[in-house]
Amino acid sequence: MALLAPIILDNGTGYSKIGFAGNSDPSFVFPTAIATREHVASTGTRSGPPIPAKPGNLASKRGIEDLDFYIGDEAVANAKTYGLHYPIRHGLIDNWDHMERYWEQCIFKYLRAEPEDHYFLLTEPPLNPPENREMTAEIFFETFNIQGLYIAVQAVLALAASWTSKSAQARPGERTLTGTVIDSGDGVTHVIPVAEGYVIGSAIKHIPIAGRDISQFVLNLMRERGETATIPPEDQLRVASKIKEDYSYVCQDIVKEFRKYDEEPYKYFVRYDGEHSVTKRKYSVDVGYERFLAPEIFFNPEIYSSDFLTPLPEVVDGVIQQSPIDVRRGLYKNIVLSGGSTMFDHFGQRLKRDLKRLVDQRIEASEISSKSLIRSSGVEVNVISHKKQRYAVWYGGALLASLPDFYGYCHTKAQYEEVGPSICRRYQIFGSASS
Amino acid sequence: MILLESHNVVIQNTLAEKFNKPGSIDVVFVDFDGVRFRLSTPTSKEIIVLSMNIRCWDELAKYGVTDVLQREYGSRVMPQPEADYHVSLEYAIDSIPPPGEERDALIKAASLLKRNALAAPFENAFATQKTLESSETSDLPGQLMEIHYRDEEAIYIQAANDRVTVVFSTIFKDETDRTFGKVFLQEFVDARRQNTAMQHAPQVLYSSRDPPLEIRNVAGLKRSDDVGYVTFVLFPQHFSNPERMQSTISHIQLFRDYLHYHIKCSKAYMHSRMRARVAEFLKVLNRAKMENKEVERKTVTGRTLVQR
Amino acid sequence: MSSLRPYLVAVRSTLTAAMALENFASQVVERHNKPEVEAGTSIEALLNPLVISRNEKEQVLIEPSINSVRMSIRIKQQDDIERILCHKFTRFMMMRAENFVILRRKPVTGYDISFLITNFHAETMLKHKLVDFIIQFMEEVDKEISETRLSLNARARIVAESYLATFG
Repeated sequence: MALLAPIILDNGTGYSKIGFAGNSDPSFVFPTAIATREHVASTGTRSGPPIPAKPGNLASKRGIEDLDFYIGDEAVANAKTYGLHYPIRHGLIDNWDHMERYWEQCIFKYLRAEPEDHYFLLTEPPLNPPENREMTAEIFFETFNIQGLYIAVQAVLALAASWTSKSAQARPGERTLTGTVIDSGDGVTHVIPVAEGYVIGSAIKHIPIAGRDISQFVLNLMRERGETATIPPEDQLRVASKIKEDYSYVCQDIVKEFRKYDEEPYKYFVRYDGEHSVTKRKYSVDVGYERFLAPEIFFNPEIYSSDFLTPLPEVVDGVIQQSPIDVRRGLYKNIVLSGGSTMFDHFGQRLKRDLKRLVDQRIEASEISSKSLIRSSGVEVNVISHKKQRYAVWYGGALLASLPDFYGYCHTKAQYEEVGPSICRRYQIFGSASS
Repeated sequence: MILLESHNVVIQNTLAEKFNKPGSIDVVFVDFDGVRFRLSTPTSKEIIVLSMNIRCWDELAKYGVTDVLQREYGSRVMPQPEADYHVSLEYAIDSIPPPGEERDALIKAASLLKRNALAAPFENAFATQKTLESSETSDLPGQLMEIHYRDEEAIYIQAANDRVTVVFSTIFKDETDRTFGKVFLQEFVDARRQNTAMQHAPQVLYSSRDPPLEIRNVAGLKRSDDVGYVTFVLFPQHFSNPERMQSTISHIQLFRDYLHYHIKCSKAYMHSRMRARVAEFLKVLNRAKMENKEVERKTVTGRTLVQR
Repeated sequence: MSSLRPYLVAVRSTLTAAMALENFASQVVERHNKPEVEAGTSIEALLNPLVISRNEKEQVLIEPSINSVRMSIRIKQQDDIERILCHKFTRFMMMRAENFVILRRKPVTGYDISFLITNFHAETMLKHKLVDFIIQFMEEVDKEISETRLSLNARARIVAESYLATFG
């Protein structure tokens, strides 16, 4: 059979992105959630009929209850009658039973693929224990009989995705797997330095500010102004998220921005029209300062909460300074953004400006303390923004899996049978010009 | 999920989205049995093309697939399919009905493209059976149709005057799959006998290694331990009524995928049992570990040693 | 069924006796300490191995030595299905051998699963509880294989009936 496209599965703590190599977007993006029938005592009868989605109540027969579950959006929709679980916590797989079944439905219901006919590329967070890779391989080779498996670190894939940016394409032949990845999703933001495709684990830093916090901040600001009176309470966070996604941007200077808004309110204030999900009553709210204040918490965390006070550029600078000295230039030169919360307009420019300021200050200080005898040649700071940032990790995987040598780097079923699961502890890095 | 669904979710979701908000797309995706799809807007954003590559197309063409697709999709079937694909359907945005039942039906039909293509030989067989039944002369069965829908597996269909026989040849590449497969297939065979509610189900026969009589003479049959043959005998009650016929066709063509899906689900189930057992064993083992503090040291005569 | 109790009692008493372990530095490599039953180089440190058979398909091999004891089990497998289930289960456990501490990553040839208990284990764990664990393991494995087999049959029936019902 002609080789079918490899399947790319990027399972994150919040959302899973799944699809086929060669495409520019994942075919499915839905929550990494599974809704299972809560375990009823085996002697007792079921307390209620299952949700009528399949013919007959056969799922209630003893012996096959494990197949009565939903994943993704359907899981959230059925959360009232089923027990909702999130098998991935902080990027790591926590509940293997749930994860195995989650993958089962991803493959057979959504992707409609026979796993025996495909190669798979999965993603993992940095510092994933090798035992987890073995267990993933055990599931994929023994249950699903797949042809071959490659497990890639998410940060490295984000770097691969950045090769599509305009600036990278202007420098062909310079596809590098060295850089700093800023991965900001819904729950947490990571700053991860990568050198030659290998993550520098000891220098990774996590920032507890991410999408959810920004939405909450938008909501708080609107509440202070009294705008939220018309929004039904259960929708408030969702509306705040929508406003954040549609209207927010990063400004270059807060004071100037405030002045702009005060001088020309009609130019900057926007109106958001919403509809009550149940009554269909329409309402509208004004959106003002939160447009630029919300993403500002990356750069001035103190305006939101006093739990975490280090601005993002400082954290990035700290991470790079913690890394081995010989890779630092490469890390500054190639700062890559990934994840939904990095998609604010002008995010990259502001980060670059603030970071360059920090770097230049340090260089100047060292020049002064060496009594101007040693002059530095300057450090180039570059922040790469590109169109595929939202699903950068998935996209990087789709890119790498469409390279012809991909199949050679996978572990095949034959190797798994011969050597055993321990072979799946290590994966070779490939794809960059240097390898 | 117990039964596999007949429609393709990617087609359904993508068309629904694009009919609502036209834009350019170019995605490739698959369906069971190595079928490849492509949804793209090659000429303009307003015209969406859905193409399918199905490896047994030539055989399906012999059994009337073009007529079936013409009937289901009418003028949407493009005269020349896209390169590397066997059939292409064209959806021009201005020809799409407004949101509502009609549009949903259109999208549903598109997502059933694979199912409809594979329906052709079955419809052919059912029609043949009717003719044979009413003609008094012939006791001979109709032609034996072969559909090589997978690399090493095929479907054989033959109509007779009172039944239609469908034979699946299937391969179990893995020893565990083979063993589990036997257990499952035995239940298929026994179901009619053991459960009175199953009296109206098709008759199922199973043999490993040796192909059944109907296809003994087919060229190139594999005879080895990892090959199994499953025969379904469909009676007129299964396809006389048009609605029943459509349902039968939808389900019978997914038999192999259904079987292998459940074999894999059973392996997953076994994993979860084993994980639970291992956790229990570890608990017992941990009880064996000593707690250093509580150990009281006594001498032979019974006096307790005290830590100072 | 009737031979199970005597079988387990025999294994228990032999194992308890074999667990008299003491620290023993390697006589072959300086400053090294290896389980002698695995190294096998110092014959005088090895004691007589013993096989306890319930029948020719179910056996236990106990190989004692001065500082370690290796115990291998051949599990009852009546047919293809049980053979596959047993194989999968033991492989599953052996992959997690590190968590199990006393489990050996590979079984001794001719057996399905092996345990290795060294004097160091005996120092940090209660001996009689270790023996309890192994005996319980032997009972549970048999139970697990037959229960899994039953549930497999039940599943197969529902899978077949669900499919065939769609034609009715």
